[in-house]
Amino acid sequence: MMEQDDFVSSDTEGSFYSRAFHGFLFNLRLIWKNIRNKKRSTVIIIIGLVFSMSILFTSSIWMNTSQKIIADDYIETLDYEMFISTFLINAMDEVYEFVFYDPLVKQADWIFPTVALFNYEDKDPSYTWFPEENQENMTNPLSLSSAFVVSSRSIDRIKLNLEIEGNATLNSGEILVSYTQAKQLEKVYNETISPGYVLNVAITRRIPNTDEGEHTMQYYDIEETTYENYTISGIYNYIGHNSIIDRLVGGGSEGAGGIILDSILFPAEDMTRVDLFIMDSNGLLPRLLIKTNAQLLREGGITQMPDNLLALKERIEINFFHSFCYIISQEIQTMADEYRRSFSATSLFLPTIASAIFLTVLSTQITIKRRREEIAFLRSKGASSGQIIGLFFGEFILISSVSLVLSIGCGILISALVPSFGHDGFFSTSLFLRYFQYLEISPYEIEIFAVLVLGIYLGVTLINVISYVRKDIQESFLITRKGQQIVGLSMKLAAFALTIAGFVFLYLDYLAIAKQSYTFGFNLISASSKTLYVFIGVIFFGCYFASIGLNYILKNIEGVYKRMFKKRSFFIFRNIKRSRKSLTDLTFFLMLMVCLLSSFIMIRSTTINNAKLEDAYRNGADIRIQSILPVNISEYEGIINGIPGVEKTLGFYSIIASIGYQSVEVFGIDTTDYSNIGQWIDESFPEVKANDALADLGVDQTGIILSTYVSERLGFSVGRTMFVTDFRGGPFYVRFNVSAVIDSAPGLGVAHGYDPKMNRITNEWVLVNKEMFTGLGVENGTLFLADVSDGADVEAIVEQIKTLNPLFIVNPERINPDYIGYFITGYIPPVTVILLIGAIFIDIIAIVYVVISTEFTLEQRRSEYAVLMALGGKQSNIRRQLIYEISLFILVTILIGIPLGILTTLMGISFLKPLLMTQEVVVMVLHIDVVSLLIMVATLIIAALLGIISPIRKQMKYEIVHELRATV
Amino acid sequence: MSKKIISVYNLTKTFVSKAEELTVLRGTSFNIYRGDIICLLGISGSGKTTILNLIAGLDAPSSGRVLYSDANISEWTLDKLYDFRLHEIGFIFQEFYLLEHLTALENVMVPMILAEKTENEAQERALDLLTQVGLRRKAMNHPEELSSGERQRICIARAIANYPSILIADEPTGTLDSKMGDEIMNLLLGIAQKRQMTVIYTTHDPYVTKLAKRIFLVQNGLVVENGQSSSDNIEFDETSFKYKFKGGKK
Repeated sequence: MMEQDDFVSSDTEGSFYSRAFHGFLFNLRLIWKNIRNKKRSTVIIIIGLVFSMSILFTSSIWMNTSQKIIADDYIETLDYEMFISTFLINAMDEVYEFVFYDPLVKQADWIFPTVALFNYEDKDPSYTWFPEENQENMTNPLSLSSAFVVSSRSIDRIKLNLEIEGNATLNSGEILVSYTQAKQLEKVYNETISPGYVLNVAITRRIPNTDEGEHTMQYYDIEETTYENYTISGIYNYIGHNSIIDRLVGGGSEGAGGIILDSILFPAEDMTRVDLFIMDSNGLLPRLLIKTNAQLLREGGITQMPDNLLALKERIEINFFHSFCYIISQEIQTMADEYRRSFSATSLFLPTIASAIFLTVLSTQITIKRRREEIAFLRSKGASSGQIIGLFFGEFILISSVSLVLSIGCGILISALVPSFGHDGFFSTSLFLRYFQYLEISPYEIEIFAVLVLGIYLGVTLINVISYVRKDIQESFLITRKGQQIVGLSMKLAAFALTIAGFVFLYLDYLAIAKQSYTFGFNLISASSKTLYVFIGVIFFGCYFASIGLNYILKNIEGVYKRMFKKRSFFIFRNIKRSRKSLTDLTFFLMLMVCLLSSFIMIRSTTINNAKLEDAYRNGADIRIQSILPVNISEYEGIINGIPGVEKTLGFYSIIASIGYQSVEVFGIDTTDYSNIGQWIDESFPEVKANDALADLGVDQTGIILSTYVSERLGFSVGRTMFVTDFRGGPFYVRFNVSAVIDSAPGLGVAHGYDPKMNRITNEWVLVNKEMFTGLGVENGTLFLADVSDGADVEAIVEQIKTLNPLFIVNPERINPDYIGYFITGYIPPVTVILLIGAIFIDIIAIVYVVISTEFTLEQRRSEYAVLMALGGKQSNIRRQLIYEISLFILVTILIGIPLGILTTLMGISFLKPLLMTQEVVVMVLHIDVVSLLIMVATLIIAALLGIISPIRKQMKYEIVHELRATV
Repeated sequence: MSKKIISVYNLTKTFVSKAEELTVLRGTSFNIYRGDIICLLGISGSGKTTILNLIAGLDAPSSGRVLYSDANISEWTLDKLYDFRLHEIGFIFQEFYLLEHLTALENVMVPMILAEKTENEAQERALDLLTQVGLRRKAMNHPEELSSGERQRICIARAIANYPSILIADEPTGTLDSKMGDEIMNLLLGIAQKRQMTVIYTTHDPYVTKLAKRIFLVQNGLVVENGQSSSDNIEFDETSFKYKFKGGKK
């Protein structure tokens, strides 16, 4: 209560300024006393404001800061972002000079692709080495290997893609050898090759043209480039995926040549400029590897990076017509998309923020309602409306200022703390401190969010105060109480209708974009986010009107109460039916909270379940075997089938070809085996069942199964004849009959589109009959799926398969471990974590609300309980009746809120997919995690009931006589 | 002589607040017999309501005893006190204390519901009581729709709902005009006599004492009785600002 005696100031003398100053001090003192005397409600309001604002500030600070760190860290994980090649001899020097001065280029390294010879020492120029497997002296053969002459500096970047036994150095007198080449050398030298092994190596300045009969040593031009006593500093295996080296020389990804896997790295510094000039002149054209300046590349934001890189490519290609620049744009674009997705997914936290704001509004309303007597007292003492409003405004300013300062502090702290736990779940001081080095605060965004939250708070405060202070104004607007209700309801209905209309518009817009999109790119993510914003409004309004309906029902089911509560139903029913001091106020917000809580839990469980299903579908079968280098399919099918426990193995013959301008990967399969081994889903084929489609392909050797995209885009309907052209290393074209269209397949993922979790180099694949494939002379592939018998020890089988070939990756935890999404989760919590945190906060908000609201209602009813006790009502009975009444509201709102949550989830997942996953491979269907839901709901019920016990006991503790007097 | 129903011995009551201690009763003693109609007369703040609250077990004395049929109610458990209030005491409050969200009928039903009567039973009896107090036709009205006199009638009906042995009325005419006050007092005492209840009521108006069998003056924290029951024997001393029995000491 306000310090009543202090209100009337006696300072009537002195100058105007003096009086104004003293008046100001007087009011300030009064405001401070008010705040101090209402610690609890002030703290709740401040917590609500700080929570709402700090989360919004966190999102702003986090977005501005984290994108810089993510971009820098991600660029650091890439070996290079570009390579430049040219078809003109000795033209690269100029290009080098050009890029050297481009500010975006941080580092440019030479790479000369050539050939290395081993055991060459005793071979004369006429020695015939071709074919290598049948050369002139097979008892003491020459060993050939691809070689890359690179600067020793560049090894620091290239090694990011290598797993190295020994040292990752390339100093003068050292070479790095691939695991495959080391094994070959062991055969040649009949010795164990390990790091530290010393040998002689020749780097060729020319590559013979075997088509023109250059089969002898002399054509290699190694007279001046033989190097003796070179030490193998390390033996490497290639483990990279998204790298320039992979794209330049073929790394480990499916379908790539894998040249670097059978190669050596040689220090360029050990060759003379003349040697390098001759190599260039002989057509061994060098490439430039370009490392960009991450800080400049991300200028304009993370989403601007692909374009900044593209601009560099254009600058070079325009200046040097003979040059070609390959940029790692797909990966950077994916990073930008994934960043946007991850960040947009944080908007799923918005309902929690809105709920916190709502809680603040309700707390403010309750606080002001509690202070009606105070307002009346001030009025009786002659305070003008302006003075009273001014006092409340002063409190608003003080509370807002404190909240704002705390919110900015919390925002900075939280935005630094979250990523500090991101990498391994444990706090990292270095990450925490590093965050502050990058810290970027946008005053504009801080201002917008502060105005938004504090504006709502101010509006609610002033509207409520004015409505009490100026009853005359209120009454002049509203003739009757009923009229007031009608106007209020009409306005809410109109707002609801507008929100629904907005939602429908945005939802249809989303569907239209989704129909045209084969991947969840920027446009769809943006459309999804926008739809979500309005959908939150729909949920709020929906729950509001549902609560009106629920309250109506609750007020008209006396018979039910009589059966449920027997003799206590008299008071419970009448308390529910009353218009004032009723707990019916609980229904709206509590129903909203339960709806949001269950939606969060269900969207989370649906996302997790879908991710599991998708990963299993991508994996394809009980066992997935991925070979880094192509291997003979039929040979390994036989070997793997021989492992006890393996029922059947299916190898995928594969080759790159073209359909129109589209590069596609053609897979040749045994249709029966694929049908049995692959774990197909109903949605794999849009029009037919998988078994039927594969059976059709099985009987038609010229059949082909195309993606829906290609079928629709090029008009290749089922039954039509079409051509696949440009088989790499095979025929120029082959005619096929389209036997079916497909969306996705187990083990292969989506038929069209870039699936970053799959690490495929083409965005399109087709299926053909293996009989037709072997007819083309293709015998190799990199993928196997295997089925194991029931009860077999899968882990043991996996281990056994791994021993067959060191280049086999069996049942990988992640098919593409370099998927940027895994990287980003180190900085931005994944959507499932956001939803879980959101659910926990909503649970807390709901509990706080139940306690605050119930306490307020009970406080209003305190005199009634005193009367009941004066008349002989027992405390214990009144307490029990209250608990029944509150429990009824909690249970009913939960019973209605959960189905509403299911509806919300069903609606939500229809447009939230772009925020929840990279691509919809398996159709997302509702999955309810009953355990989590029960835990959350039980927590809400138990905590809320425990929370209200104290206020209930408190209400009963007052002396009857004291309360009866207070009523007077 | 009728049997004693209430005995008060050396009763004191001191209210303690932050600012001061206020002793309202200073060791007063008196007896009330079954069938008595007692009027406590005193100026505002003299302690009349405090005495009623102590007799009804709504408040606890600072010292002394209140005996109901020779049992010290201060020693009772809370539950026993609730039962005492529910079944033995009918209290008519000065400020009515009707539950605003309930109708007149429901307000009268409240004590019966608290006494665990069925709703039908309570409703039937409440309607009968409302008929007795002349308000049957307003049974479905809420308190805010009724006049002060009508509210007081509902309070009377509510107070006698469980057929208590003692009817306590705190300034039952305090908010009514004299005509309405007369009506209410006649109604109240009529019902009480019909049901052979003991009535204790307070007033600061000597006129209202005329219906009492015994008049207690409440002054200086003590109850004074000299066996007279006529209001004609009471006068107001302007100098001490107190009531006194004629011929008695100031």
